[in-house]
Amino acid sequence: MNKIMYLEFERCIGCRACQAACRECGDHDAKERNYVEYVDFTESRQTFPMLCMQCKDPACARVCPANAIQITDEGVVLSAMEEKCIGCRNCTFGCPFGIPKFDFETNKMYKCDMCYDRTRHDIAPMCASVCPSDAIRFIDFDEMQQLRRKRTQMNLVEGKKPQEGNKWDYVPEFFGVYTDSQS
Amino acid sequence: MSQFLVKEGVKNQIRKGEKLVTTHCCYCGMQCGMHIRVDEKNNKVVGVEPRYDWVLTKGKMCPKGVTAYQTIDHPDRIKTPLIKKNGKFVEATWDEALDLIESKYKGIQENYGKDAVGVYGGVSMTNEKCYLVGKYARVGLGTRYIDYNGRYCMSSAAGGFNKTLGMDRGSTLPWTELEHTDTFFMAGSNTAECHPTSIQWFWKAKDKGAKLIVADPRETATARVADVHLDLLPGTDSALANGIMHLLIKHDYVDNEYVQERCNNFEELKEMTAKFTPEYTSKLTGVAAEKIIKAAHIFGKSPRSVVMFARGAEQQTSGVDNVSLYTSMALLRGQIGKFASGVATFTGQGNGQGGREHGQKADALPGYRKIANPKDVEHVAGVWGIKPEEMPKEGVSAYEMFHLMQNKTIRALHVICSNPVVSSPNINYVQDSLEKLDFLVVNDFFMSETAELADVVLPATTWAEDEGTTTNIEGRVIRIRKVVDPIGESKPDWEIMSMIAERLGKGKYFDYNEPREIFDELRHASKGGKADYYGVTYEKIDEQDGVFWPAPTEDSKGTPSIFQERFATEDGRANLAVCDFRGPTEVQSNEYPLWLTTGRVVFHYLSGNQTRRVDFLMEQCPEPFVEMHPELASKYQIENGERVKLSTPRGEMITPVKITKAIRKDTMFVPYHWGKKLAVNQLTSPALDPFSRMPEFKVCAVKLEKLTK
Repeated sequence: MNKIMYLEFERCIGCRACQAACRECGDHDAKERNYVEYVDFTESRQTFPMLCMQCKDPACARVCPANAIQITDEGVVLSAMEEKCIGCRNCTFGCPFGIPKFDFETNKMYKCDMCYDRTRHDIAPMCASVCPSDAIRFIDFDEMQQLRRKRTQMNLVEGKKPQEGNKWDYVPEFFGVYTDSQS
Repeated sequence: MSQFLVKEGVKNQIRKGEKLVTTHCCYCGMQCGMHIRVDEKNNKVVGVEPRYDWVLTKGKMCPKGVTAYQTIDHPDRIKTPLIKKNGKFVEATWDEALDLIESKYKGIQENYGKDAVGVYGGVSMTNEKCYLVGKYARVGLGTRYIDYNGRYCMSSAAGGFNKTLGMDRGSTLPWTELEHTDTFFMAGSNTAECHPTSIQWFWKAKDKGAKLIVADPRETATARVADVHLDLLPGTDSALANGIMHLLIKHDYVDNEYVQERCNNFEELKEMTAKFTPEYTSKLTGVAAEKIIKAAHIFGKSPRSVVMFARGAEQQTSGVDNVSLYTSMALLRGQIGKFASGVATFTGQGNGQGGREHGQKADALPGYRKIANPKDVEHVAGVWGIKPEEMPKEGVSAYEMFHLMQNKTIRALHVICSNPVVSSPNINYVQDSLEKLDFLVVNDFFMSETAELADVVLPATTWAEDEGTTTNIEGRVIRIRKVVDPIGESKPDWEIMSMIAERLGKGKYFDYNEPREIFDELRHASKGGKADYYGVTYEKIDEQDGVFWPAPTEDSKGTPSIFQERFATEDGRANLAVCDFRGPTEVQSNEYPLWLTTGRVVFHYLSGNQTRRVDFLMEQCPEPFVEMHPELASKYQIENGERVKLSTPRGEMITPVKITKAIRKDTMFVPYHWGKKLAVNQLTSPALDPFSRMPEFKVCAVKLEKLTK
């Protein structure tokens, strides 16, 4: 699997299709493992998706006393193995992104596994498949690098870059300037 | 059962013991492609799989689409006919229900005439069914009183397009071209929530540097990233469009050659827009003059632009004017009929396009034919096998039908695929009108607020239990496939209509074994009309990813881009709109000092009868709310989450507050997907557009009150 998950927060339209779709993945027990949050609804409707970063050296796995969180050969950090998870919730405290969820009824953690039963066959995870705005993408490594370079290029094209203190005007930086009346 | 259609080279996850059935979503006009997972052993629907190969949506879905399959085998499904006895519904057999309907319809029509029975249709169903509703009313019942919920949805767009371009196809271009557009001018559309999967095309265009101009009282997700957000007062679109055209003329952005060759009324338009200077426009619309000027320059300079609008501009008493004026903006720039340019409306209902073309409207017959035109009547009567003089005359619009129930002109009503006691304006009056009926029949698969008032409820099937076609937001005719057999004793609407027609002695006109036969009849009925489906076949739809109408001949591949050579008006030229600003019917007063506007949220669809039964969607948005600006909230000392009372002369509601700066300070917004006490449509204004008879849902004057604790 040479593909990666690529998030572009500013593209998010807050529809939460990714969360609905997460429940549809075969191994997900109809429970979603991803998040969509408002940056600050009082200020604007901007939202952003959040899902597991599939860390190289994941804190969740490191703090697990039962070795329940396995990492696949491809580097996918799986949800805790049910028979091993002791329900200590260390992973939920350890993760710097607040990703692992905890089911208090079964006393088990569950987290994003990048729809491993899809992605190991190179089929996009459910969240990236349905995301209407391409805020979540499942793309080749090369394509990701190209997109990264393009962000810089677009900032140059627009001739403007957000400065400290006016970042809010530019949250959709990739989409160019907001309105001239504000500058 | 349908074949499995995943294309070569497209990988999908197919689990053991499951098969995928290829179809489209049941909700909005995007009609997103999807596969439905079916357990092969017990033939039950178990889930959904993205349809990556569908050309318009590429596997993408909104949360409604992802969960749509959950409505099919839902515990709330109505599975047998229900007859109301002593105020309570009792399960009945089809024969009992049909006996009762037969005796009631016959009795009422004998005593009070054929027109005493009315039909109220809807467009969240296939072309085959929509077409048959028109025929059922005119041939089966012989009544003139038929109209449909599209009157609340697309009628102003239709009216405006017919006036200016001579034909009403929601989009003049296929949307797969949108990524090449340079500027989008979007008015009154919360695209990100109402048509989420269209966003991919706008964002793709934006990646290439496209500009976005959004006119909306709220800072929606699209307005937020727009180059200019024209935060206009609700109900002032006509002033804004006139103001932009004033600047297009002033700064020489008009495509003179195009206008001279292809448009009428340019001099008159020039005269009318002369007074709409940025200052005057700004005074009427409440938008800063600089923003209007900036928008006009961006729009004027762009070589390829698309003007788009939706219910925000259309659900007003000047809805037709607004559509005509916005369309004229595109005409002045010479955009219609060219690559990646043109004009489009966002179709709200799944088959809002197809459903309005084939005769559910009070004045229309299949193929956009007119019931007032003897030649049109002759053609359709010929296809239906009746005498032209047997064709009933023109009826009245949806909301006006309720007046006729009040005065007992209409004594029985058959509601098919609609929930008017939630979706109509001023619903307290609408409910009272339905209660005055002698006999009400409702086809539905869930117990809607309207079905609760019925004497007989007939169990219809969902979209996944029948074959058929719909016509999407672009004007592309697509296939809906049968996924499972009808659940319980439910039957598709076309079968129900055929059975009732047979009871009324009209069986020979409704002798169908499957939807394909109805579609073939529709093809002939629409042949030669403006919406010509003659060349559309089920096979062709599969072969070429849908067929765009008009397809006038058997070998026609369809017409993705229209108006390339000439417009559909009599002289082939477009009529530029010459309309003054009229303003909304209601004005603010001391008693009702604020503006109220309504709309959708991404988690619900129309009256919410389906989406309010899906767990995920209800978890996200369980009840309506009122959005207001913190400055307004502060004036009334209202806190976030607090319950407040909203009232108009027609009704009142109590609802929690959501405070956000993403809305005008003088305007409040409430979504309309709930019924009864939670319905904002208790408050909305029933004033109608004089031309399209579309109610003014989007603007009314309202009172806000803090509740004492």
